[in-house]
Amino acid sequence: MNRTLLILLFSTGLFLLSCQKSPDEDLRTGTVKITFKNTVKGNPLVLNTGVYSNSFGEQYNVAKFKYYISNVVMNGTQISAGSSEYYLVDEGNAASLSFSFTAKSQIYSSLSFLLGVDSARNVSGAQTGALDPLNDMFWTWNSGYIMAKLEGTSPQSTVVNNKVEYHIGGFAGTNSVLKNINLTVPSSINVPLNVDPDKTCEIFIEADLDTWWQGAYDLKIAVNPAATHPGALAKNISDNYSNMFKITDVKLY
Amino acid sequence: MKLRIILFFLITILCSAIFISACKNNDVPGDNVPYNPTYINLEVPAGWPTPPDIYVNNKLTEEGFQLGKKLFYDGRLSKDGNFPCASCHQQFAAFATYDHDFSHGFNNTFTTRNAPGLFNLAWMTKLHWDGGINHIEVQPLAPITAQNEMAETVENVLNKLKADGDYPRMFQSAFGTTEINSQKLLKALAQFMGTIVSSNAKYDKVKRGEASFTAPEQNGYNLFKAKCETCHKEPLFTDNSFRNNGMAVNTFLNDYGRMRISNDKNDSLKFKVPSLRNVILTFPYMHDGRFYSIGQAIDHYRTGIITTQPTLDPLLINRIAITNTEKNDLIYFLQTLTDTTMTRSPRFAQ
Ligand code: HEC
Ligand code: HEC
Repeated sequence: MNRTLLILLFSTGLFLLSCQKSPDEDLRTGTVKITFKNTVKGNPLVLNTGVYSNSFGEQYNVAKFKYYISNVVMNGTQISAGSSEYYLVDEGNAASLSFSFTAKSQIYSSLSFLLGVDSARNVSGAQTGALDPLNDMFWTWNSGYIMAKLEGTSPQSTVVNNKVEYHIGGFAGTNSVLKNINLTVPSSINVPLNVDPDKTCEIFIEADLDTWWQGAYDLKIAVNPAATHPGALAKNISDNYSNMFKITDVKLY
Repeated sequence: MKLRIILFFLITILCSAIFISACKNNDVPGDNVPYNPTYINLEVPAGWPTPPDIYVNNKLTEEGFQLGKKLFYDGRLSKDGNFPCASCHQQFAAFATYDHDFSHGFNNTFTTRNAPGLFNLAWMTKLHWDGGINHIEVQPLAPITAQNEMAETVENVLNKLKADGDYPRMFQSAFGTTEINSQKLLKALAQFMGTIVSSNAKYDKVKRGEASFTAPEQNGYNLFKAKCETCHKEPLFTDNSFRNNGMAVNTFLNDYGRMRISNDKNDSLKFKVPSLRNVILTFPYMHDGRFYSIGQAIDHYRTGIITTQPTLDPLLINRIAITNTEKNDLIYFLQTLTDTTMTRSPRFAQ
C-alpha cells in the first residue's frame, strides 16, 4: 500500500509539473512600469493656466498634450505582449501617464519605443483601444493617426483666437514623422534597469514639450502657429520633438 | 492485489484529468447566447482581378452584412436623424446622389464634391476623389463627423445604438458580444458596402456570351477601347489611378484633388479615375458634378480639355478626336454598363 501511495504521489506530481512552464530560472518575470512626466524645461506642465515661454521669448499656454507610444523594446528586443501594445499618453488623463508590462527578469541597459503608431496600423482599417478613433487622434479626411498633438494659445500666434495647433502625423515617405526613441539611464542616476522576479522596475521619463520649437529646426510660433496635416513642417517639428524624452529616475520596489 | 492496481490506475486517471482541466484556460464568459454566424464570401466575378483582402481582419458574415445594411439606412448615424448614408447614396442611382452635383447635408449645407456611386469598392485601393481614405473601414468616419454631411460625433452614434432595442442583439449575432464600439460599427458598414458588386450589366452578359451588342454598341465599345480604356480600364472601368483630365479648377471650391493628400505639386488637379459602370445613372459628372449630361462629359474630351495645364495627363494633350456619330455610339456603349440587377436587388435595399 505504501508503495502504491508513493507512485500515486509521484505521478500526480508529474502532472502538476507538466502544467507549469519549464522551471528554468530565466523565465521568471517582473514588472516594468513606465511613467511619463510632461514638463516645460523640467517644470511640471500645468494645462490651461500655466504660462510658459520658448527660447524665442514667445509666450504660450497648453490646453492639450498627447502622444502615442508603441512597440516598446528593451535591450533591442521585444519584451512581452504588453510592451507591444499601443499607448496614448494624454496629459489631460492622469491614468494614461503610466503603463506597465511584464518583462523577463534581468538587468537591462536600454529602453526604446516608437513615438507614434507604426505605418501598418495606419492602413489596416478600424482599430480599437488606444487606437479607437474616438480618441480624437485620427484624421478622417486623410486616413492616418495624429502621432502627437499639442494645442494651446500664444499672443504671438497670427491665426484665429491666437491658437497654437500642432497635429503631427504622416507615416509614409520622406515626411514620415515616426520616431524611434532610444533611451539609456544617464550616469547621474545610479540605479540599473533591474527587473527582479515579482518586483517592479519603474522608469520615469520626462517629456519636455518646449523642444517642439527648437533643436533640429528653429520654429517660431509667430511663423508656424499651426501644423495640421502631414508635410514638411510636421516632419520638422517631429525632428525637434524626437529629443523631448529623457530618463530622470528609476525606482525598484 | 489486482483490485489495488485497478484502483491505482483509476485514481491516477482521475488526478490527471483534474490537473489537465486545471491547465486549460477558462472559457471567456460570453453573453450566454451561442455565436453561430453564417460565413459568406465576397463574390468575385469570373475574369476579374483578385481584390486586395479588405476582409482579412473582418470575417464576412450574413449577420455582419445585415447589421451593416441597417446602419447604412439608419438616420440615427446623423445628428438630426435626417441624413443616413442612404440619403446621399441611393440604390436606384447606383448609390450615388441622383441628379445632384452636390448632395444635401445637415442644416442646409452642401457637400463640396459629387457623391460617387458605391459598388465594387472592394477593388478600390483608395477611396474618395482625392484618395484620402486608405481603407474602406475608416471611410464612414468622414461623412459621420463632417459638418456638411451627417454632423454627428461617433460617440453619440454609439450611445444611440446602445440605447436601441435591436442593435445590441444584432451586434451580438454579427460579432459574438453585445458590445457596441466604433470598430464594430465600422466593420459592419464595411461588410455591407464592400460586398455591393455590380457585374450584371448588358456589357457583362455580352462578355459571358449571354447577350450581344447592337451594331452601334459594338462600335462604341471599339471606340471606348481605343480612346478611354487606358484610364477607365475594364472590367472595373477604372485603373484606380489619379489623373488630371484637363478641367479648369473650380474657382469656388479651389479643389486641387490629390495634391491635398500628397502635398506634391505634381498631383495638382489630379482626381481618382471614376468607374464608368452605371455611369448613365450617376449624373452629373466629375468630382464637382459640373457636367449634367453624358454628352457634355464626352464633349469635354473632344473640345474642352485645357491643354496648357502642367499636370494634364499626357494621353490627353491632343484632346480626343470623336465625331458626332462616334459620340452617339460611345453613349450607346456606356448605356450597356447600367446594372439594374444591382440597383434593384432587394439584398441591398432597405
Ligand atoms: C451628405 C451626403 C453624404 C452622406 C450622408 C454620406 N456620403 Fe458618402 N460620399 C458623399 C460624397 C460627397 C462623397 C465624395 C467625397 C470625396 O471624394 O471627398 C462620398 C464618398 C463616399 C465613399 C467613397 C466612394 C469612392 O468611390 O471613393 C464611400 C465608400 C461612402 N461615401 C460611404 C458612405 C457611408 C458608409 C456613409 C454613411 C456612414 C456615407 N457615405 C454618407 C456624400 C455623402
Ligand atoms: C487620361 C485618363 C483618362 C482618359 C483617357 C479618359 N478619362 Fe474619363 N476621367 C478621367 C478622370 C481623371 C476623371 C475624373 C476627373 C474629375 O472628376 O476631376 C474622368 C471622369 C470621367 C467621367 C465622369 C464620371 C463620373 O462618374 O463623374 C466620364 C463620363 C468619363 N470620364 C468618360 C470618359 C470617356 C468616354 C473617355 C474616352 C473618350 C474618357 N473618359 C477618357 C480620366 C480619363
